[in-house]
Amino acid sequence: MEGNIIEAAKLIGAGLAMIGALGGGIGIGLSAHGAVQGIARNPDAAGQVQTNMILGIAFAEAVAIYCLVVALLILFVF
Amino acid sequence: MEKATTTKWRWGVHRWFVLLFIILGYFAARAYPPIRPHVQLAPERLTEHPIVLPVIGEFYLTNTLVATFLVDIILLIIVWVVYRAVQKGELVLGGFAGAMEALLEGIYNMTESAAGKWARAIFPFFATITLMVLVSNWMELIPGVDSIGWLEHSAHGGEAAQEIAPGVWALVKAAGEEAHGEGYMVVPWVRVASTDLNFTVALALISVFMTQVIGVKAQGAHYFTKFWNTKNLFTVPVFGAIDFGVGLLELISEFSKILSFSFRLFGNIFAGSVMLFVIGSLVPVFAQSLVLLLEFFVGVIQALVFGMLTMIFMAQATQGHGEAHEGAHG
Repeated sequence: MEGNIIEAAKLIGAGLAMIGALGGGIGIGLSAHGAVQGIARNPDAAGQVQTNMILGIAFAEAVAIYCLVVALLILFVF
Repeated sequence: MEKATTTKWRWGVHRWFVLLFIILGYFAARAYPPIRPHVQLAPERLTEHPIVLPVIGEFYLTNTLVATFLVDIILLIIVWVVYRAVQKGELVLGGFAGAMEALLEGIYNMTESAAGKWARAIFPFFATITLMVLVSNWMELIPGVDSIGWLEHSAHGGEAAQEIAPGVWALVKAAGEEAHGEGYMVVPWVRVASTDLNFTVALALISVFMTQVIGVKAQGAHYFTKFWNTKNLFTVPVFGAIDFGVGLLELISEFSKILSFSFRLFGNIFAGSVMLFVIGSLVPVFAQSLVLLLEFFVGVIQALVFGMLTMIFMAQATQGHGEAHEGAHG
């Protein structure tokens, strides 16, 4: 089996790039935490809280998605 | 579920179909072991030579373009079905048209609660983007999308091909060493439109550009003071300069919206289809059904998020700088 150092570096780099998804995960967890607490205290506001939560999750998730795109670019383009 | 116990227990038909398909899937996976398809970020070209059109210029017919046309056709069929149902003159729409009415009514109510009197101007963008992205995302759940196409010879990598019926070829796992040499790969006829950056960037550009247009419509030239805020620059000592800097940051955030809109949709759906490929080739029997369910959910969420963010940005653009604070609390 012949070693190909560039292939190996690509795989390692893609794996390292996905570390950034950590931040997105924490952010989504925090926003869901706040939203559930808010709904528990005021169940009538559930609709509005949910809408804002989904928006917040979308923003937090965007950063994780950037990491994913970078990892996919490393894997399949370069 | 409590109510179901009072009715007589009956053995339905559909669950046997599910069981039959699981068993059939097992044997099919044994007979033709699924192989991981070649993953490519850029869409594959279906034509050798570029097509030349008078205004647009040269372009290649890519498989994501075919998918976009299919999405258009499906949306036109939906329009036709709903139009036929409305023409009948019933007050309560039933079936598919009723479902569309419920969806659009929900979207309209959401727009009205955020945008108030501008809801009529903003609603078309929200509804169009949501419906188009939704249909486009759900296309990856159809069997045959991403897997049926031309067979192409490739010099590096690929799998062996075997004729399973006259004129129909299938890729099979090559034994041993051959897998790393020459082989064939499939160029699919249809690939989900959302996995093409051109599609998502186009939608993001439309969304951000029309946000500016609606902002100018609502506030006139006053809208641009959001970006070039010199109102307090020479009168208020420090905070005037800070306001000016914030205005410039607003300008930058307007451009980063294009980036985040397009990469969010593209990343989610492309990663979803890659996950479908990989799970399908690793665990071909049961696990893929669960991933299909997840992708169904992700498709709805991404379509709603794209439309809803467009709507929220447009609603914010209609409100002036001073009013925005009152609107946030009220």
